[in-house]
Amino acid sequence: MFSRLTDFDRTFDVLDELRRQMDRVWNDYEGAWGITRSPTQALTSANWPRFNVLDAGANLLVMADVPGMTEKDLQVSLEDGVLTVSGEQKAVAPEGYAVHRRERPALRFGRSVALPVKIDAEKVTANVKDGVLTISLAKAPEARPRQITVRASS
Amino acid sequence: MSNTIAKSTEQAPARAEAQPLAIRPRVDVFENEHELLVVADVPGAAKDSIDVRFEGGELRLEARRAAGPQGQPLAEEARLADYRRAFAMPEGIDSEKIEASFTNGVLTVHLPKSSAKRPRKIDVRTT
Repeated sequence: MFSRLTDFDRTFDVLDELRRQMDRVWNDYEGAWGITRSPTQALTSANWPRFNVLDAGANLLVMADVPGMTEKDLQVSLEDGVLTVSGEQKAVAPEGYAVHRRERPALRFGRSVALPVKIDAEKVTANVKDGVLTISLAKAPEARPRQITVRASS
Repeated sequence: MSNTIAKSTEQAPARAEAQPLAIRPRVDVFENEHELLVVADVPGAAKDSIDVRFEGGELRLEARRAAGPQGQPLAEEARLADYRRAFAMPEGIDSEKIEASFTNGVLTVHLPKSSAKRPRKIDVRTT
């Protein structure tokens, strides 16, 4: 019974390694997705947090996993169509405990995304819930999708 | 011959459905004289889907990722998937007293040691 579980976990080790390799591929192609690195980033976290960007019609949604972080730990700014998320995550070890495993690192990060469409800077909201940061950016009126009515001419 | 091939392809998707790809959450593991403490990053987990099991000396953490907003993806750097990870735990965990909590996308599991396994001073009697 135990050997089956062990094998099972090794299967996921292999998948995790594959994922790490894929992540490296993603990093190499960051430019192609319109994701730019801030020049200060080399000193801190290489590429954290990871962004998923959705086009939801009237809004752009930028989402990032920021486990353990609250609104106090995060700064979000928008300037010239470039969205920047920065902050700091401290690795807190509970007092009086020995450490067996440490995979959740302390981070100081600052990442920027060049947004692909014009944004109404007054209508940007950001909230963090259950460790997920969601930034909603309203597109400028001229960038919103428009329905064009097709008229039949007689 | 052709029959077996057809059979194996039929089985493959069924197995994939039973065990979909999952992310191994990052964890910290701490210990003091009273307990083991496991802290796992499970951002975006659906609260009611979090499943913490202790069975046969193994701690198993599972959680489903809550559905996010809909839209057309422009960039996908992070793979969003369910979470699953298992650990072999040392003997002497009091499984009745395990407690877990979920805050800001972080799952914290307290595994108290059974009193028999805590360090104990043995009196030496003279006869």
